[in-house]
Amino acid sequence: MTEQRELLPTATGRQTAAALRALLRPRRWLAAAGLLVLTAATAVGLAVAPLLGHVVDLVTSGAPASSITTPVVALAVVAVLSGAATAYGLTLIARLGEGALAELRERFLDRALRLPLGQVERAGSGDLTSRAGNDLNAVASVVRSGLPELARSLLAIGLTIAGLAVLDWRFMLAALLAAPVQLYTVWWYGGRALPLYARQRIAVGAQQQQLLETIGGAPTVRALRRREQHLGRVTARSQDAVDLTMRGVNLVTRFYARLNLAEFIGLSAVLATGFLLVRSGEVTIGAATAAALYFHNLFTPVNIALGLIDDVQAATAALVRIVGVADLPEPVAPPAPRTPADASLHADAVSHAYTADRPVLHEVTIAVPAGQRVALVGASGAGKSTLAGLVAGVHEPTSGSIRVGGVGIGDLDPSGRRAVALITQEVYVFAGTLAEDLRLARPDATDAELTAALERVGAAEWAAALPDGLSTVVGEGGHRLTAAQAQQLALARLVLADPAVAVLDEATAEAGSAGARVLEASVAAALHGRTGLLVAHRLTQAALADRVVVLDAGRIVESGSHDELREAPDGRYAELWRAWSGRREQDA
Amino acid sequence: MPQLTGGRVLREALRGQAGRITGSALLSTGHQAGEAMVPVVIGMVVDRAVGTGSSSELLLWLAVLGAVFLTLSFSFRFGARLGERAAEQAGHLLRVRLTDRVLDRRGGADTGRLPGALASVATSDAARVGMIALVLPLGVAGILGLVVGAVALLRVSLPLGLLVLFGTPLMMGLAHVLGRPLQRRSEVEQDRIAHTAGLAADMVGGLRVLKGIGAERAAAERYRLSSRAALTATVHAARAKSWHDGTLLAVNGLFLAVVALVGGRLAADGTISIGALIAAVGMAQYLIGPLSMLVWVNGELAQGRGSAVRIAEVLASAPAVGGDAPLPGPVTGRLAVRGLTHAGLRGLDLDVTAGQLVGLVTADPAHAEALVDLLGREREPDSGTITLDGHDLSTLDPEAVRGALLVAAHDADLFEGTLRDNVVAPAGSNGNGPGLPHQRTSPADTHGLLSAALAASGADEVAATLDGGVDGALAERGRSLSGGQRQRVALARALAADAPVLVLHEPTTAVDAVTELHIVHGVRRLREGRTTIVITTSPALLAAADTVHFVADGALTASGTHEQLVREHTGYRATVLA
Ligand SMILES: Nc1ncnc2c1ncn2[C@@H]1O[C@H](COP(=O)(O)OP(=O)(O)OP(=O)(O)O)[C@@H](O)[C@H]1O
Ligand SMILES: [Mg+2]
Repeated sequence: MTEQRELLPTATGRQTAAALRALLRPRRWLAAAGLLVLTAATAVGLAVAPLLGHVVDLVTSGAPASSITTPVVALAVVAVLSGAATAYGLTLIARLGEGALAELRERFLDRALRLPLGQVERAGSGDLTSRAGNDLNAVASVVRSGLPELARSLLAIGLTIAGLAVLDWRFMLAALLAAPVQLYTVWWYGGRALPLYARQRIAVGAQQQQLLETIGGAPTVRALRRREQHLGRVTARSQDAVDLTMRGVNLVTRFYARLNLAEFIGLSAVLATGFLLVRSGEVTIGAATAAALYFHNLFTPVNIALGLIDDVQAATAALVRIVGVADLPEPVAPPAPRTPADASLHADAVSHAYTADRPVLHEVTIAVPAGQRVALVGASGAGKSTLAGLVAGVHEPTSGSIRVGGVGIGDLDPSGRRAVALITQEVYVFAGTLAEDLRLARPDATDAELTAALERVGAAEWAAALPDGLSTVVGEGGHRLTAAQAQQLALARLVLADPAVAVLDEATAEAGSAGARVLEASVAAALHGRTGLLVAHRLTQAALADRVVVLDAGRIVESGSHDELREAPDGRYAELWRAWSGRREQDA
Repeated sequence: MPQLTGGRVLREALRGQAGRITGSALLSTGHQAGEAMVPVVIGMVVDRAVGTGSSSELLLWLAVLGAVFLTLSFSFRFGARLGERAAEQAGHLLRVRLTDRVLDRRGGADTGRLPGALASVATSDAARVGMIALVLPLGVAGILGLVVGAVALLRVSLPLGLLVLFGTPLMMGLAHVLGRPLQRRSEVEQDRIAHTAGLAADMVGGLRVLKGIGAERAAAERYRLSSRAALTATVHAARAKSWHDGTLLAVNGLFLAVVALVGGRLAADGTISIGALIAAVGMAQYLIGPLSMLVWVNGELAQGRGSAVRIAEVLASAPAVGGDAPLPGPVTGRLAVRGLTHAGLRGLDLDVTAGQLVGLVTADPAHAEALVDLLGREREPDSGTITLDGHDLSTLDPEAVRGALLVAAHDADLFEGTLRDNVVAPAGSNGNGPGLPHQRTSPADTHGLLSAALAASGADEVAATLDGGVDGALAERGRSLSGGQRQRVALARALAADAPVLVLHEPTTAVDAVTELHIVHGVRRLREGRTTIVITTSPALLAAADTVHFVADGALTASGTHEQLVREHTGYRATVLA
């Protein structure tokens, strides 16, 4: 199923590079300072090999044992200096990397939250969550450990080669004999690793999604005795991820085998060069020793730098997925934002299709005068929730327009008060304190305003009885609210958002009949002073509305007052009403 | 069974990979030994060839160098593969075992744990424990690498060898001491980062709701604040780590200076050769490798142990329910509840006649939830019994009970896959427990069941709207369906299981009244002659029931037909007619 999903966009190489440049530009002084300090640290560290070579020369020339003290003291000074400079340089680089990373993740989430809902849902929530989790982590770990290591290693390599050249240019040439093998290896590896890593990231995402589905649905799986089926699915997904990881491991180990070959070639060449140069008397044994030690010291930084290519490949596979979202253009603000003239709501010839060529709404036109309540009823699957989402701007209609107070919802001032708010059919309590949850609707609300909103929807009592009142942690991992409480919380958010038009999708359905009565009062209070569009299977809600609109198979089939429609012979609403009230009125 | 501890989880995971781990340890040792030999061979080249100008010695020692490289390269390649395979396989097996435990018929592992947290145990923690299979051989190899180096050095020069041998553990101890405050900082950092990541996941999870009230910007701002706090923590931690690394570097360099001092004086005295001096210096530098590797191994072991404890806690969670007796068939479907006390229920007594459609109304929704948990064998009652055909459910194998008595919870999940796969489990996927009275059905029956269940629940209409009909795909948790469509598919699934006793909890809250009536008739017809209990407050469903029981204040308050109760019982009227 993963294959047929339409995943969220990923960035091209060029976009990614541009995004990285944009992140680095404001931090260029930090980058320069960090590199400078690290260069100094590495340069100081390079004195070690010649100092050791000097010791060798002193010994071979038969100098007294005491003469060794001077180079050794120099070695100690070098150790302390390079240690301190390295530490400081790494600090600077970390500030650079972490700062850029924070900016990237913030921009990612900002854009992710503004993605059209349809796009996110088509991609599967796993796509976005694994980008926000796994992928950000993969990039972070490279920034945290990889970036500083890479900087140090590259500097060490560059400066060591320079150091070899200072000893004798022929040493450098000998050392560079290793380079063709290394370059070829990197090229060979890069071509194979990148696609493998991209697949592995997808496999890990699929494994995560399957685990969440199976574990989250554990009671259902048990009840239906589908344990083996789900165990099989988890095993298969996990095995896929393992197999892809092992293919990556095979590749990496072959990569390192080639690098070993390069090391051997370079080291033999440097040693042979030293042999020849010493024999012809052009350099001392100390210099030859220093050259060999230089090259031997290169093993670690070269392996780190080239090995990081591996991490960087993996991180790139993650980064393109992050930048793909983070780089989406900011939703364009309307050129001439307008304020609605009143609180009326109009939908004109609105059509919608979730998947092309499967329209679920056909040219629906509906008008709700300011301050009125319209109930939207109809069979399950008729398109009520879809229409509710469209008028609230959660989905974009395929065609047609929606206006609030005469202004198209695209032309509304985005910074102003929310014109339309929707309470969705499913309830969700955000993780955090109750106050934080409520402030999502109005970030600058005072505690008194929060309490007032809760009071208005009849939630003040239970909210005050919570262990820490407004500071009680609710949502995942926190205090569990009942279905009715969660719904009241959603209504309190609506009060705080204070929209002119409120759209309520089955706000009273999940609480059972008795709970529904309480919620109906909450709904009435929350709707007070607003225009309301109510989707309701519970027709008591419809009976109280100013007008009832009946939707069937994506079309409006009836519209009128409750009484008119109820009387209409053979009407859809009359039929619904009979079915609804049949068992309620006759005996009551 | 002995208590399942973290240590035991760890040992079992490693024992399962013993062959690979041993192989990897041997090969990794070969690799380390090879790395340790490189500086020694460099010293030999300088000593025997560069110092003497002998070409044949040069060729000989370069050949030795080649052999050393061949060994270390080969050992690394296959040692690493074995180690990684062991790690991945161990993690995979733990992941499957954890899933198996969570899905276990006796339940209990998911009680009080969030799905997200459990999934992270099954991924991160399982991987961490697996990692130990990878790092253990490396630790062994690191220690042996140190030993090989030391022996080589001791053979060259006793005092130098001893210096390196004693200096090295000293440096290791220092690294450990220096690393301790680092660990504290990194814990704070981890917390902040985890919080930020959790916030992102939570907001994405509630995206529909956020968009409904236009809170995208407020949410992004909240995330930004959390991200800034994480930034401060990570920069602090990074600074601490940088100074730690720098200090280690300096200590290492100082150690090198000491080795050079001692070695240089010995060489100047003529006690050792130039080659030995070079080897000693090279060794002091090489030792940084295995040393820092040991520090890393140590850290991984600590993390792995922590993860193993978390895994053990899940695996060893107390079962929520017990019982293992088989249920003798065939099941007639007579249910009796006696003195049931649990979560608000107070001594509930109830009798359900076999073959009836029974309505059950609770004045408090929490009591309905409690009954659903108890009938579905998700919980043991505090006291009292439920019997099926006279057998106490608590003594029966839960899997057998569920085969005979299916509880369709109100919040049951749909799964990603086709509509058909959701409604009827693919053949052979039902875990057939011992003594299961319910027979496996043939494909032809399955087909009949499927269409009958779809028709009775009104889910046939759902199939008609899907591309591909019953073989059309549903998104995760059925999110590509409307609320009422999801509910109908879940109902079809419960009906298709064809259980002798079926319990439905509020199966029609999300559908319109006409569809509801259709469902009422469909269920009534399809379940004719078999026990069906509908826990609901919907009058349409209750009116179709043969008998309705009304539970108020946790006890049975009234029984009769819906019409009777509506007429005679004000409490019932208030609960049902709204
Ligand atoms: N995310 C989606 N992707 C694809 N199709 C969808 C999606 N959401 C809804 N649909 C389809 O669109 C149609 C209308 O769904 P909608 O949710 O608007 O119905 P509804 O009138 O609210 O029904 P209910 O009363 O059951 O909630 C249905 O056929 C449904 O399957
Ligand atoms: Mg709906």
